[in-house]
Amino acid sequence: MISLAGRDILHSWGKFVFTGVGLGLLIGVTLTMAGVYRGMVDDAKVLLDNSGADLWVVQQDTLGPYAEPSSLYDDVYRTILGMPGVDRAANVTYLTMQVRQGERDVRAMVVGVVPGGPGEPGQPGYLIAGRQITRGHYEAVADIATGFKLGERIQIRRNHYAVVGLTRRMVSSGGDPMVFIPLKDAQEAQFLKDNDAIAQQRRRTASNPAFNRPGTPGLLDAVLASQSVNPYINAVLVQVKPGFIPEEVAEPIRRWKRLQVYTRAQMEEILIGKLISTAAKQIGMFLVILAIVSAAIVAFIIYTLTLGKIREIAVLKLIGTRNRTIAWMIMQQALGLGLIGFVVGKISATFWAPIFPKYVLLEPGDALLGFAGVQVICALASVLAIRAALKVDPAEAIGG
Amino acid sequence: MKFLSINRRMLALLAVVLPLLALLIYVALRSGPFASIPVTVTTAESRSIAPSLFGIGTVEARYTYRIGPTVAGRIKRVEVQVGDRVEAGQLLGEMDPVDLDDRIASQDAAVKRAESVVLAAGAQVREASARKSYAENQASRYEQLLHARSVSEEAVEGKRQERQVTEAGFAAARANLDAARQELARVRSDREGLIQQRANLRLIAPVRGLVAARNADPGTTVVAGQSVVEVIDPASLWINVRFDQLRVSGLRAGLPVQIVLRSQEGIRFAGRVLRLEPIADAVTEETMAKVTFDALPERLPPVGELAEVTVAMSALPATPVVPNASVQRVDGRLGVWLIVEDKLRFAPINLGATDLDGRVQILDGLKADERVVVYSQRALGPRSRVKVVERLEGVSP
Amino acid sequence: MADMAGKGIRIEGLRKRYGKGDTALDALKGVDMQVAPGEVVGLIGPSGSGKSTLLKCLGAVIEPTAGRMTLGEEVIYDNGWKMPDLRALRRDRIGFVFQAPYLIPFLDVTDNVALLPMLAGRANAESRKRALSLLEALDVAHRAKAMPSQLSGGEQQRVSIARALVNRPPVILADEPTAPLDSERALAVIRILNQMALQYETAIIVVTHDEKIIPTFKRIYHIRDGKTQEEAGEGRAFE
Repeated sequence: MISLAGRDILHSWGKFVFTGVGLGLLIGVTLTMAGVYRGMVDDAKVLLDNSGADLWVVQQDTLGPYAEPSSLYDDVYRTILGMPGVDRAANVTYLTMQVRQGERDVRAMVVGVVPGGPGEPGQPGYLIAGRQITRGHYEAVADIATGFKLGERIQIRRNHYAVVGLTRRMVSSGGDPMVFIPLKDAQEAQFLKDNDAIAQQRRRTASNPAFNRPGTPGLLDAVLASQSVNPYINAVLVQVKPGFIPEEVAEPIRRWKRLQVYTRAQMEEILIGKLISTAAKQIGMFLVILAIVSAAIVAFIIYTLTLGKIREIAVLKLIGTRNRTIAWMIMQQALGLGLIGFVVGKISATFWAPIFPKYVLLEPGDALLGFAGVQVICALASVLAIRAALKVDPAEAIGG
Repeated sequence: MKFLSINRRMLALLAVVLPLLALLIYVALRSGPFASIPVTVTTAESRSIAPSLFGIGTVEARYTYRIGPTVAGRIKRVEVQVGDRVEAGQLLGEMDPVDLDDRIASQDAAVKRAESVVLAAGAQVREASARKSYAENQASRYEQLLHARSVSEEAVEGKRQERQVTEAGFAAARANLDAARQELARVRSDREGLIQQRANLRLIAPVRGLVAARNADPGTTVVAGQSVVEVIDPASLWINVRFDQLRVSGLRAGLPVQIVLRSQEGIRFAGRVLRLEPIADAVTEETMAKVTFDALPERLPPVGELAEVTVAMSALPATPVVPNASVQRVDGRLGVWLIVEDKLRFAPINLGATDLDGRVQILDGLKADERVVVYSQRALGPRSRVKVVERLEGVSP
Repeated sequence: MADMAGKGIRIEGLRKRYGKGDTALDALKGVDMQVAPGEVVGLIGPSGSGKSTLLKCLGAVIEPTAGRMTLGEEVIYDNGWKMPDLRALRRDRIGFVFQAPYLIPFLDVTDNVALLPMLAGRANAESRKRALSLLEALDVAHRAKAMPSQLSGGEQQRVSIARALVNRPPVILADEPTAPLDSERALAVIRILNQMALQYETAIIVVTHDEKIIPTFKRIYHIRDGKTQEEAGEGRAFE
């Protein structure tokens, strides 16, 4: 027995492949949309993974440091280091701002890390070029998504930094690439403004009679000095000793130190559940609609392809082809179309995903799910067409 | 002939299908879970590194002399401008003496008066002394006459009494003279004091140096202790450097340093660590040290300019050394990823010192000549498959 | 007349009623027909006479209401189908030739014909051999590998005849096979049908109103108002 489906495909292969490619692009768009969604969630997860922390200590009653601003004194980490179960604690600051390089500026999340050496919480876990920060000032490690290269000088607020290392996939939950600089420089960048603003501030303070008393000569200088010092950080990242459960280490800190502490699971909940949930839902809804539309289009295409063969189907039935054979021909064609469409879709999604400005994560699980979904939709669509085909009265082949 | 027509169509279809399948397989291998992660490796070599310390400091003058009045007053004149060079003892300015000159003059008059009083008291002493001598002579003559019974007792008593009176008068006159002398000394001291005070109103440069600041202009009222002129010795410039406390082991006086001034970025000046401050900054967690220039720069940097100081420490004995990008923390332990027979293995290590170029000593856990992963396209795990490449994509040399 | 016993097709008292009750329509009111193997008979009637209904009953496409149909040695209908698998019946025992060739456009000429034996379960190679021999007999073997769209109308018609014959059915039903053709080709088709009928011992019923070929039949059945009437034809020889 020859394959009727195969012969039909071979005979009008151009139409078939063309339809398959069109279908494939549609499937590719759907897969990419799923990838955008997954990419957003992955951005959030990667942010948590990259910080290398088991616990995040932030200002009391805030959801910081990513979802809400949080301010702590920078000596808080000393008391945390003394708590049971704490292996390492390091200060960290986060500020999303424009980083200038030459003529252009790039939006990045500037992370202030303690330059204590590799493996400290907050430091990038792995590099793709260069080295980690060794000097306590004016060095930076940037993510490759910023477009900076090794050796370039970048400007953050008032200081210039030399890019000494590059990383990959170090991004904020919003997808902005990260730039790591020493903590003290970051503290200065976060709270000190540019020179004009500082001059203004000094002038204002000097004209305030409370600070500029003639009888106390050192007062104004002391006040100005205190204004140009920033003792705040955004969070303390904590790694717990092996063998300790993070939640158990967190609870005493919460209770006795009047600070808020989040474990990894809670941070994920905050980031994914609160910070990106709206955007994620938006994309999720669009994905669902896209999937439904794709399904409808696939069904329509297969139905139309079948209807175009109604005459042949009637003849086949008349000359004695079994219903089963006819149904199988239609279903095979639908599944084959689905296969071509999926292959084209997966390939095109893989090739155009890196072009997107934010991370698109195409998971193999999604691809398999997509494949199964496409085949199921094609099969169901072919059922409609098969019903139409089987309803055909072979007597119609006989005129009059 | 039979096969040709079918084959042409088959070929056309295959020409579309096969590349598609090939692309699919390529995609699955490159980006799916089967993909291997590109990494670059280096060989751990045994070498000695010379760690350096890096700190940021400000240029300061070793001694800053803040010259000002010791009492509140108004500034009468300031003789110098910022940037003037002054000698020791040079007059820099003067406070308004107000009534001090008049008081000195009045005190002069008081001194003169006291001198006159002393003269008068001296004359009185002489007069009292003469009287006393006469009375004594009289008294002794009359006593002789009493022996000779020439005079009465009464007369002798009278003369004795006179003698006592004049003695007392003499003592009083002497006391008066002493008082007048003391009084003279007192007004003279007062006058000295006023003159000292007057001298105090002159602002004098204590040493030879450079005027660094002129904080108040003539006519300004200043309080005691407020500085009017600041003088520094430009030859005594040093740099107050702050080092992060995490890295300062091995820092001690005498180590050679390289100094880069912010305004002269291309030039490295040589210097030396003068001393380590015994008191560190507890708030910023920095250790402070003073660094001097071996030879002062031609163009003196202004006080307060930022300088980057790199301290070269002595080279350490050779140990296996890896780039610091290789060191990662996995499951709470520090270590490096090794390539052993094309497979990935995590080796926990103990770190030693690092140098400023990112080379880090491995004290134990690694031997020289082992292949260590430096850069990887993605985070590595114990089950990752890796592929050694020359350079990661997207990174230009 | 050839010996009829056990061969050809025979219909007795065939009735077909559409609908029920008041709106019922009797399309066939007792039709009798028989065609011997090797015979080519004409079935002539105006539209509405029940011609198509009769053809559909003969082709086992619709179920008659009453009567008896015998095909070869088997009774296929006797007031109810006696065959469980009508499709197999159509495939193996009845051949169809239509007004239009109705070839499957995505199969080449050989496979269009070989499809029927393949559907019947025969091996592909054998089916094709059979098909080829028929194509040779019909003088279209030189187009064996062509696609239907590449053939002329007459060639396509000949291929469809080959398809009708390939399973050696005892009866072939031809519905207006010459309607679109000119007289020369029409006679050619009738000549082929007669040839094939004799060669393969098939009974052929040709439904037609084509004046050009009616003179060629030796026997004609007229159908009017659901009843047939046999009549002798001219049986003119072919030019």
